[in-house]
Amino acid sequence: MTQFWELSKRAVRETLRTPESLFPTVFIPLFFLVVNVGQAGRIFPSGSTSFLEGQSYAAFQLPSAILLAASFGSAALYLVEDIEGGYFDKLRASPVSRSAIVLGRLTAEAGKIIAISAVLVLAALPFGISIASGLLGFVLLLILAACWSVVFSGFMQLIALKTRSAAATQSGSLVFFPLLFLTPNFVPRDLLTRPMEIAATFNPVTYVMEALRSLILEDLAWARIGRGFAVVAVAGIAMVALNVRTIRAYD
Amino acid sequence: MSMAVEAEQLVKRFTGRSGTVDAVRGVDLQVAEGEVFGFLGPNGAGKSTTVRMLTTLMTITSGSARVAGVDVAADPDAARRSIGVALQEAGLDPRQTGRELLVLQARLFGSSAAQAADRAQELLELVDLVDAADRRIKGYSGGMKRRLDLASALVHQPQVLFLDEPTTGLDPASRLTVWDEMRRINGQGTTVFLTTQYLEEADQLCNRLAIIDDGLIVREGTPDELKAELRQRKSLDRDPTLDEVFLDATGRSRERVAGQVQEVL
Repeated sequence: MTQFWELSKRAVRETLRTPESLFPTVFIPLFFLVVNVGQAGRIFPSGSTSFLEGQSYAAFQLPSAILLAASFGSAALYLVEDIEGGYFDKLRASPVSRSAIVLGRLTAEAGKIIAISAVLVLAALPFGISIASGLLGFVLLLILAACWSVVFSGFMQLIALKTRSAAATQSGSLVFFPLLFLTPNFVPRDLLTRPMEIAATFNPVTYVMEALRSLILEDLAWARIGRGFAVVAVAGIAMVALNVRTIRAYD
Repeated sequence: MSMAVEAEQLVKRFTGRSGTVDAVRGVDLQVAEGEVFGFLGPNGAGKSTTVRMLTTLMTITSGSARVAGVDVAADPDAARRSIGVALQEAGLDPRQTGRELLVLQARLFGSSAAQAADRAQELLELVDLVDAADRRIKGYSGGMKRRLDLASALVHQPQVLFLDEPTTGLDPASRLTVWDEMRRINGQGTTVFLTTQYLEEADQLCNRLAIIDDGLIVREGTPDELKAELRQRKSLDRDPTLDEVFLDATGRSRERVAGQVQEVL
């Protein structure tokens, strides 16, 4: 536990000491939010669009922005730096639990995403967006976003461990875009064309997005929230297990 | 005499798309407690691969290795508690301060927060980095980084210290400082396993050394024994240098080295 805690603190320090890396994580999701709402907002007026539950289209789009912020995976880029600089070998040559190496960094990433998601939600409040599920829903939204960041950063850390290359790891983050666009990103799933609906149904990101969206637009819809948490739980456990196994077999 | 490092028929085989490469092909080593053991060889000879196997950083294809009496493959964590490692690349985190790095390293080895802070201060004094202790490592010079790396390998007072080319890239003054540190550490009873490409360094520091070439040990003994053997075998009228021993052992001639500088640098 001490090792996990110390490595988490180190990863938090690392993030705080590179504030410039936080800028795109906040700016790009806000940019997409503004652009998507600007392009499609008038198609979906809040008064006559039932799936908006009385809120603006920005409320419908906010989960995409939060998911995008949680999918930068910068923890993996720091890991590549550790690998290239030799510090990763220093850790591996110490009697440190391999789980602590993985979880220390991922926990710091989750903490960062909680803060960034809170900033995104707070930035959206003046534009008429509210969290219909209340304070508990807001907390669940932050936790779910943080859990997704663990999943995606875990995926990117796997690329980092396998390729040991910053370029390959960076390009891994692009995987998120097809996943994002194969979700009910612009309209609910039942309004998608049949092929897109099938693709969205098989895409795990869909359930995370729907859970986040329900927390913003509805009162606590436990079935939807549960599906989102189930997806991140299964994917998160799988990613952590694969990371630990990869470090154990790392040559 | 008990052994700090023992390897028997150590083999490392890499398998890739382009085929199989035997980087280490059956290395036997015995390093006694308290020795400074030099491990020499040209680039690609298998030095670093051997060190990485001995320090649990790389899996062993076949053979066995024990460090401080512990089988490194069977109980890697116990082996890690007994060894300190400073590899070719100073394994430092440039965003941390020197003090933070040492405290973290001590905590990872099980020290309490207070013990870790005390040990960090002690080591910072030892490697003369007290003034720079609270500055971020990215601003350190090459020599300072090397000394800090050495200090971080010593936080848990290891029985065996592995130093992989610890003076590569350092200026002469920094190199001499690292030599002094090595002597002092060894004087306190720590066994030092040193890989180096600087033969003068091996001559100055090592009680015994082995030369590896193409994955096999081709010479082993004290520097004086190796020189005497070459003098006798070649009927030389003077003592050869360790450079000449190295060139003879690795099948390289001065002419060939002059044309293929990269092979020995």
